[in-house]
Amino acid sequence: MNWLQRAIRRERDALERARRRFIAKPTEKRLHDVRTTGRRFRSLLEDVADLVPSRKLLARVKRAAAATDAARDASIALRLLDAAIDEGERQSASWLFAQLRQREAEATQRAHRRLRHARFVR
Amino acid sequence: MKPERIDLRGRGGTSLARQVLKTRAREVQRQAAGLEHRDKGGLHDFRIACKRLRYALERFEDREPPLQATAECLTRLQDALGEAHDRDVLLSVLPPTMPQTERRLREERESYVDRASVLWREVQELARACALMRFE
Repeated sequence: MNWLQRAIRRERDALERARRRFIAKPTEKRLHDVRTTGRRFRSLLEDVADLVPSRKLLARVKRAAAATDAARDASIALRLLDAAIDEGERQSASWLFAQLRQREAEATQRAHRRLRHARFVR
Repeated sequence: MKPERIDLRGRGGTSLARQVLKTRAREVQRQAAGLEHRDKGGLHDFRIACKRLRYALERFEDREPPLQATAECLTRLQDALGEAHDRDVLLSVLPPTMPQTERRLREERESYVDRASVLWREVQELARACALMRFE
């Protein structure tokens, strides 16, 4: 089916573009793009697995997504904590902010290392 | 939560779209109990099922206009569930020395779950206009 092959190519290319952009400059926004394009592509591959078996590619996409989870969780927790914290408790939470910042930086570096070699196109 | 395998052998075009949407809609409906129970794991599974259905709807929305409206409402539902999930993530690392922040986060979480419940009813209502997808 031509439309299906086209859809797979389009979504695979979108993920590869997002990956390359993140490798060039690992920002939170670019990490988010890798996650969204990856999820979309993964869902397509899972939907049509009966017609287009692609177990290895699907496994690669899943591994790439998993590599970004920790960085995303730390970024969200950091931003949300800053927005929701009770001002009376801010001072006592300085260690938590520091811990989340460190976790975010380390997890982003880890995601960068893992995604550097995770190619989705030949 | 693993996605259900979809039997697509011998199918194409509209029949394929209907089969994909039917399967993903069934998964959403099955996981909707998580929204009623309001627990972290159940909400997470419901959110993932909604996400899969939304992507499928967006893929086929040019075949039937009501699919687009349903997908848009699912996006808002997913956003509300995502906000609740983010609070669950932060609450899991918040120390007990921050009771006021914890209370605020729990209140916000519950309010996002309430919003998700309203949107879930809207999604079901919108789906009634779709010929390609039905909640049973």
